[in-house]
Amino acid sequence: MNLVWKLLRQHISIPQFAGFFFANLVGMVIILLGIQFYNDTQAIYDGEDSFMKADYLIVNKKIGAMGSIIGKDNAFSKSDIEDFEDQEFVERLGTFTPSAFDVSASFMMDASMSFSTEMFFESVPDQFVDVEKGKWTWKEGEKDIPIMLPKNYLDLYNFGYAQSRNMPKLSEGILGAVKLAINVRGNGKSDSYTGKIVGFSSRLNTILIPESFMKWANKEYAPDAKKDPTRLIVEVNNPTDERITSYLQDNNIETDQDKLDASKTTFMLRIIVGIVMGVGLVISILSFYILMLSVYLLVQKNSTKLENLLLIGYSPAKVSFPYQALTVGLNIIVLLLAFGILFLIRSIYLGMFENFFPDLTAPSIMPALVVGVILLVVVSIFNVIAVRNKVMSIWNRKG
Amino acid sequence: MDKIQLINTLPDVFANRTDIASDIWLQNVEFEKDKLYLVEANSGTGKSSLCSFIYGYRKDYQGQILFDNEDTRSYSIKKWTALRKKHFALLWQELRMFPELTAMENVQIKNKLTGYQKKKQILEWFDMLGISDKIDSKMGIMSFGQQQRVALIRSLCQPFDFIFVDEPISHLDDSNSAIMGDILTTEAKRQGAGIIATSIGKHMELPYDKVFRL
Repeated sequence: MNLVWKLLRQHISIPQFAGFFFANLVGMVIILLGIQFYNDTQAIYDGEDSFMKADYLIVNKKIGAMGSIIGKDNAFSKSDIEDFEDQEFVERLGTFTPSAFDVSASFMMDASMSFSTEMFFESVPDQFVDVEKGKWTWKEGEKDIPIMLPKNYLDLYNFGYAQSRNMPKLSEGILGAVKLAINVRGNGKSDSYTGKIVGFSSRLNTILIPESFMKWANKEYAPDAKKDPTRLIVEVNNPTDERITSYLQDNNIETDQDKLDASKTTFMLRIIVGIVMGVGLVISILSFYILMLSVYLLVQKNSTKLENLLLIGYSPAKVSFPYQALTVGLNIIVLLLAFGILFLIRSIYLGMFENFFPDLTAPSIMPALVVGVILLVVVSIFNVIAVRNKVMSIWNRKG
Repeated sequence: MDKIQLINTLPDVFANRTDIASDIWLQNVEFEKDKLYLVEANSGTGKSSLCSFIYGYRKDYQGQILFDNEDTRSYSIKKWTALRKKHFALLWQELRMFPELTAMENVQIKNKLTGYQKKKQILEWFDMLGISDKIDSKMGIMSFGQQQRVALIRSLCQPFDFIFVDEPISHLDDSNSAIMGDILTTEAKRQGAGIIATSIGKHMELPYDKVFRL
């Protein structure tokens, strides 16, 4: 056995190191589990609609019976929008721009059948649409237009039409390959375009196209029409904010309340996970303190030995190494064990999730692993420096 | 390292004393390789301090200590470590052995660092000094005289230009002192090294080149 280690392991207190070990393990597991649980549950919320974040509110003015009769407009005026935008809880605000021209679309199912329908488009500012970059763009002169359809359309076809006619059901993937023939008319012009379905959204009950195409086409096919937007898309900084509800009520605006609730839930979840992780962090920091205290105590008790080793020619680095290896080794074992426990607990709760969300694809475990390794590295660097400083104080006879 | 110089050196604690009459303190002293020196001292004249200053263990002194004309105050940690490993051996008066380890382990903890002496040579020294039966005994239960002999062996487990032995025979009888002096001079001669021995009365009977009174 290494003689230096044989010397320096004198006075190592097993209870102290066991105390550190378990405290650090608990802290580490809580932190990693918090991160992983948050990621996993986020996947459930995001899984509903990967194109629109749950935090976005889509609002419109209430349509009352009286309003329809007296022809009262339910559009947002410029001042309405500015007032809304100035509210403290609003991060970003975008308007829905409706198409002012005529649109008809058709697509071929097979040689004998084709659908054809009159339809309309709407657009929102591109930064609200979370589609892979490059897929949600349109430039003047292009004949291909990216389109996003409501998920309801697909459900309507799959569970209604296809069911009753014994036709094959279509998945989102298959429809992504289908091209719509789109005809746009107005201002005495009529042009054909090809629509490419890039996704289905359950948040939006509208047919969405890129804003660039909308701006250009409105000018091209309906230069005179000027419509105020009837719907707004709003990103708020805190969906649980009471002021949102009261502002909407005061101004006769309604929103999809379910979605507000869903984002409230994610927000609460975020806070709870944050608190739990904070507790884990505190436990970890305290355990780090225990470790540092026991190492200091150990160095103190063995200071004569350390001094003698230095005087017979051992370098401070060589003398520090056993204690540095001890602490870093303990940290590594703790991390590995924490990973093991994390996998175990995760497999249990993922099993439970699967009963409710069969389509769920569990996200990567990487973020938790990365955070764990970063914590390990940071704590280990502190340990190594602390031991080294302690040995140096013996070298300088300041112990 | 060929030369150790002490220029106007004085422990800080003596700074206010006016009655310093010493061959070393406040003098210009030179120790050379390949020579044999004896520093005789009375109690309280700063013998242990001298060891500590020269070995870089303490710095509470005035004046200068030069190794090959370089002031040791400017030595880095790396340089001190290399010096203690390869150029300068020291046998402390208080020995500085590890009571938890056996006699052999105490020697090996140094020899493993330097890789200098063969095990055969070490065993031979144990034998010559009459403590070969103590090789596997814990240092803590050995007498001071026995420990002193182990400490000598440990101090020889490295290459050196100088060896400083602080009261090496304080607890030894005459015959063991003679053996120790023999081993020490043989090893120093082999390496062409200088020996600086101290004593407060009893000292090894060796052909000293120079004797200082501290």
